[in-house]
This record gives sequence, C-alpha cells and structure tokens, in this order.
Amino acid sequence: MRSVTIGMVGAGGDGVVVLGGLLQRLSAAQGYYSQMSRHYGAQIRGGGSAVKLGVDADRFSMPRDDLDILVCFSWDKYVEFESELPITCETLVVADETPPPEVHPPPEWFSAGLADRSRAATGSRVNKNIVALGLVSKVLGLSRDGMTEAIARDHELRLLRERLAALEEGERLMTDLSLPGRELQPARDHSPKLVLLGNSAKARGALRAGCKAFFGYPITPAAEIMQEMQRELSVEGAIYLQAEDEITAAGMLVGASLAGTKAMTSTSGPGLDLMTETLGLASSAEIPMVIVDVQRCGPSTGIPSKSEQSDLNHAIYGSHGEAPRVVLAPHDVLSCYRLTMESFNIAERFQTPVVLLSDQWLGQTYFAVDDFQNSEYPIVDRARPSREDSKGYLRYQLTADGISPMSAAGDEGLVYQTSGLTHDEKGAPAFSAAVHQHLHEKRWAKLTPLRERDDLVQVYGKEGSEIGIVTWGSSASFVVETLHDSGLDEQISVCVPQLLCPLPNRVEEYIQAMRRLLVVEMNYSGQLHRYLRSSLDLPRDTHVYARAGGRPFSRRELMEPIRRLVQ
Amino acid sequence: MIEKVDRTTDVKPIWCRGCGNYGVLGALAKKALPELKIPNHRTFVVSGIGCSSRIPAYIDAYGLNGIHGRAVAVAQGAKLAKPELTVIAIGGDGDFFSIGAGHLPHAVRRNIDITCIMVNNFVYALTKGQVSPTTPDLRRGEGPFLSQEHYPPVDPLLDMVSYSVSTGASFVAQGISTDVPHLAWLMKEGIGHRGFSFISVLTPCATFNAPELFDVIRAKAIYLKEGEPVHLLESSDSEPWTHDPGNIDRALRLARVGLLEEPLLGILFRGSARNATV
Repeated sequence: MRSVTIGMVGAGGDGVVVLGGLLQRLSAAQGYYSQMSRHYGAQIRGGGSAVKLGVDADRFSMPRDDLDILVCFSWDKYVEFESELPITCETLVVADETPPPEVHPPPEWFSAGLADRSRAATGSRVNKNIVALGLVSKVLGLSRDGMTEAIARDHELRLLRERLAALEEGERLMTDLSLPGRELQPARDHSPKLVLLGNSAKARGALRAGCKAFFGYPITPAAEIMQEMQRELSVEGAIYLQAEDEITAAGMLVGASLAGTKAMTSTSGPGLDLMTETLGLASSAEIPMVIVDVQRCGPSTGIPSKSEQSDLNHAIYGSHGEAPRVVLAPHDVLSCYRLTMESFNIAERFQTPVVLLSDQWLGQTYFAVDDFQNSEYPIVDRARPSREDSKGYLRYQLTADGISPMSAAGDEGLVYQTSGLTHDEKGAPAFSAAVHQHLHEKRWAKLTPLRERDDLVQVYGKEGSEIGIVTWGSSASFVVETLHDSGLDEQISVCVPQLLCPLPNRVEEYIQAMRRLLVVEMNYSGQLHRYLRSSLDLPRDTHVYARAGGRPFSRRELMEPIRRLVQ
Repeated sequence: MIEKVDRTTDVKPIWCRGCGNYGVLGALAKKALPELKIPNHRTFVVSGIGCSSRIPAYIDAYGLNGIHGRAVAVAQGAKLAKPELTVIAIGGDGDFFSIGAGHLPHAVRRNIDITCIMVNNFVYALTKGQVSPTTPDLRRGEGPFLSQEHYPPVDPLLDMVSYSVSTGASFVAQGISTDVPHLAWLMKEGIGHRGFSFISVLTPCATFNAPELFDVIRAKAIYLKEGEPVHLLESSDSEPWTHDPGNIDRALRLARVGLLEEPLLGILFRGSARNATV
C-alpha cells in the first residue's frame, strides 16, 4: 500500500494518544509522511479518546475517510466516534473485547487480548497500547532495524526503551493470530520527517518572529500553545505569565507592546470575546498585538473539543466602533508556522492588532512533514523614531503611508501620551469631528498595501479554470485533498486566502475569472460567503457548502457539492 | 537653564473647578515625580476610564488612557517587559473596585513593582453622579451621601483599604487630595517601595459629592505617624499602641476602622520587599 489510515480508540487511560504518537514517530523516522488528528469528548479522564492516523509513503496527504486498520480497546467508546472513524468490510480490526450487537465488525476481525498479552509479557495490563504498537508496526511492515535505531536515538521514543518486551510481544501476536498484512511500501524519501503539532508550529513561529512575551489564560483547544510558550519563555530576558483572565492577558500584551516587546496571547472563541475591547484599543491607539484564536464549536461553550470555523465574523468585525485589524488564517502546519511569523511582521509593520484564526483540527493534529524550519523567513520590526525626531515628536504624525514611527516606553526624548480617546497627532485627546475623520482615514488606509499581498493567497489546481472553490483554514486542506483524489483538479481550482482581512486583490481577480463558484467552510451561516459577498461581486452561479462543526469534513461529504460543480 | 520641576503637559484638564483631581495631579506631577528625579522617559502612567483616568494626558511621561478597569493589567505587562520603568496605574473607585476589582488580588499576589493610585471620589462623576462601590449611605449611618437628586446606594460599600490590606498587598496607604504635600510623600514612598503598592486617595468631587462629605472627612481625619500613639480601643495610657506599618496584624486592625468614622491617613502597611517580582 502507498498509504494507510489507522484508527485507534479507547477510554481515557488506555493510552490511545501515546500509541498513535509513537507509531507516527516510528514511521516518520523512516521517512513516511503522516497526519494524526485527535478526537475526544468533554471528560478530563475516563472519557473516550481516539486518533486517526494517515501514513503516506509518497506525499503529505490527509487520512482517508474509511479506516484500513482499527485498534479498538473499547467498543463503547468506538460508538462515540463511529462517524469520525468509519470502518468498512475491508477494515482490519484488532480489538480487545467482543463487539456489542449494534456494531457490525468486518470479516477480518480479531480478538487480540492485548491487555492479557501485556500482563504476560510485562506483568501489567498497562502496556497494552505498546503491545498494539508492536502488532500494528508489524502489520505495516515497518523496518525493524529502523525502529531499533529510532528508539535508541529519539528522545521522544525513550518510553519504548523500557518497554521492549511489550513491543516484541505485539510483534509475535501478528504471527500467533495469523493476521493479514497491510504492508506499506517503503517511503519514497527516506529522510526522517519532522513531527509537529499544529499548535506547536504556531508557538515556534512566534518564537522565530522574536516573540519575547506571552500572556494567556488556559482554554481548550489552545492550551498547547501556552504550554509550549511556558517552556520556551520561562527564561531570563523573556516573559511568560498565566493571567487571571483573558482581559488581563490582552491588557498585559498592550503594556508589553508599548514598552517595545513583541508579545502575543492564544485563546479560543470565549477568550476572544473577552479580549475584544482591548483589540479595539490596540486598533485605535495603533498598538501591535498578536492574538491566536484556535476556534472551537460555538456559540457560548458549544463543543469545546471540536473544530469549527465560526469566529470569522468576530475576528473581522468584533469590537464597537470601527476598529480595523488584520485577520489571517493558516490551513496547514507550514502556514501555522509561517503565518504566525507573518502575524508578528504585520502587527509590527502596520502597528495593528492581528488575529490569527486557527481551529481545533489544525491545532491539535500532529503532522509529519519535511522540516520547514530551516528556510529563511523575513523578520520585521516596527519603525522607531530616531533621537533626531525627539524635537516635537508626534506619535501619530500623518504620513504618506499612514504609519508613524513608534517609540517604546523608556526611549529617551520620545515621550508621548496616548489614549483610546480620539486623539490628535501628538496623542492628546481631541474632540473635533475633523480629527476623528482623519484618524479613521489613517488607520484604514495604512492597511491597504496588504491588499497587494498575493503571496498570502494560495491557488491550487489548473490555471485558467472557470470553475473554482474559495475556502479557508483547515477546510482548505480537506477540499484540496478531495479534489486531488477525485481527479477533478483538472477542471476545478481552489483559492485559499490566508489573509482574510483586508481581503487581497488576488482573491477578487480569482473570483472575477470564475463562471461558477463554490464557497466551502465549516460554520452554520456561511460567514466567508457573506464576507465575500459584501466585499466584491460574486458570479451569479455561486454556491455555498457550509455546515456547523463537530466533526471534520470527509472526502465523501465534500464530493457531493464538488461533483455538482461540474455537472 | 532652570530645570523643569513641573511634570505637567500643556494639555488643559477637563476637570471641574474645585475638583480634587487637581490635587492628585499636583502631588504626582509637580512634586513626587520631579522630587524622585525619575526621568520622564523612564515613567509610564496608565489609567482606566473616568475623570481621574484622564490624567496621563496631563503628565509628561509615557502614558496611556486605556480601558475601564484594566490599568492594572497594562501596568503589569509594561513593568514585566521593561523593569527599569517606573509604572503607575491610576484610576477611580469604579475602575479599581467595581469593573476592575478582580485584577487586584492577582496583582497583589504577583507583587510586581507597580504603584496603583486609586482616586476615590465616592461616585461615578464622568457619567453624572451614579453610585460607586464606595458611595456611603446615609440611612445606614455611613455619613452624608450624594447630592439629593440621586438615589442612595442599595448595596453596602466596599472599604477599599480594608480590602487591600486583607489581600496582603505589600504597601497600602491612604491620602487625601486636599493635603498635597502629605499625598506627594505617600506617592514617593509607594513608588520607592519595591513591590505592589496601593494608595487610596480621598478626593472630593466638586459636582456630585454633598459638600458635607469632605467637611466630615477633613474634620475626622487622623494622620498615622510611625512610632506615634494610635487612639483605638486597644490602646491605653498604660499600654499605648504606637503605629508600626511593618505589623500586618495592626494594619488589619486599622483597616477595620470605618472610613467615615475615622478616616486614617498615612501608610497603613509596608511589607518586606523580599518577595517582589521584577
């Protein structure tokens, strides 16, 4: 097989995430690309937990809809995730217990007694996930020498060094059960792949951009960003602080930024609500700030552990008055990294708040990819006035490009007072309608060069096609992959604006060339579609595929609206 | 050239004639900051929203008139990012004890070296006279309340000094804006204290306070002086209680004194600077 999709499901404590993670690392060490999404419920411990791992020998691809292999520690829990981990009559199922009547296991169903095997080999049932790992790696035909070498070298695999007996027990189990293989072809490119969580990619992008301060408040599904920043920024010369709430986190960010430090926070929808007043201040007083929103199902508490793309309206329009800001959305792990850097660059260059809209799926999926961290990326710092400017320094001087050099609190001779009040060029409160109008013009106009950022719009598929799809964020990954597999990418192209606000001209050019258009997004009301419609002229023949989140898109699901496009 | 000892800007305050905020501005910008000789570029003043929160525009220092209740958050972020800054958070009783009250215990436990100045005028004045958490109620014997055209408060008042001391703030003081030299001294002590400082400033509102309010406060005011006797029930001629700001138990006792019964002015508590962050 060139690619394989494996589901692993159990109760909390069964070690499903560890199992998937180890398998992904072992395969990545041998050059395989992969993606592993996490599926879990609301419980802290003891709830259901599942992962879906797609391993590919040739290219970075999405897992298939249906499973080739299912490792099931608990059928009760499987039922919870059935729609996310569908099995077919061709799925190889390795289970620890007999399925209940409502589940119809396929012909190749094996009761493996993983826990018993674990106890036999290690004296404890706890290592049943490692037994499963041995079994699945054998089924996949991973190179055993390669595994041994990786276990010895990779610190993240050190767990296995003490559990080799369980691993070997699992390998023997394949022969004992006479399990049929699902052998993977060797990876086309043997070089080890980088395994990275989407949320980690954002944290690393921030650090690469020069972020020296992180203020946050714990929230699902953004907590991993905060944890990684804690690890990296708990050092001399850097700041990590867990605030008492998101309002404080955003306020601290403003303070740090005024003092000249690149700072950010990460949150999810409810936290963005609380930060919105501060976002308005940062827009008004032109204070660089970066907010990462890892979206989840809303409104209100919604489904905190499941993906949705429903904060777009809030990110673009949230805040009273009219507060221009920049909104970016990554759609894959590379753009999680690169766009976080870009968020800082834009925040600094344009002295503006930037909202980076990610989502649970993108944030909590582990990706095994070619390492992109060694590429060159530009780093931008804000324009600072020089000491010569100190005579009559005007913090908000009206300039041709609308950007006024910004001193940092502590800079000698460049003292200024600013305000969320309408203010004049000095920063002093102003009450004239004319000044108010000028200030609006300055803040909106300074962002217009961003419309030229063609590089922040990705177009996939055939150049010159007249049938197109516009989609954003993690939905884009599913759309591009579905199109690729269907072969319809010869007829249909896909446009993914990574910069959503302000909307790049490239999006308008793309849409104007279309005869028929489909907008795909994961929210109930079609927020991107409404936004596009309010911003530019869409073809008469425009369709929308939008539904609420809660489960990822499948290829099967997306093929319906895509097929209708070419009918 | 004469050194400028006045750290005010040329922006004209919006305050009413007779407003107590002028005393706060004078104590801070004309006395405390110049006398401490902290350069203007090393000072950052952040405020919330309200009459007193207009103050950053009037002080020659880095300044932000930000969001209602959030000055303490901004102040901590700035201080952490640039520890060499002297950071002052200013706001009113609404800022510190209503909308932003949730931030105080956390700022206290972090003990970051910022100075909070709560300008307590007992009223929401910018919005024309609504009750604040510190508004006294005549019916409960809490002294004269607001001007007669407003409804009296329905909730008991929050005694900010009692609250601050009880959370263990490392420096707690109370001044009055009508005594500028004393207030400036408190500000200098608070700014000089290494750790979180909280200074409550009793500040008359010329428009919405009943005129008797500050007559009563001024008449009853008691200045606390280190080493001098404090006249409370526990104090007697044989065993006089002398004021010791380093004693938290005594500070807690002082904090229980009703603000309008005996307004205490001075440093109520000064803790050790050892645990200060930044």
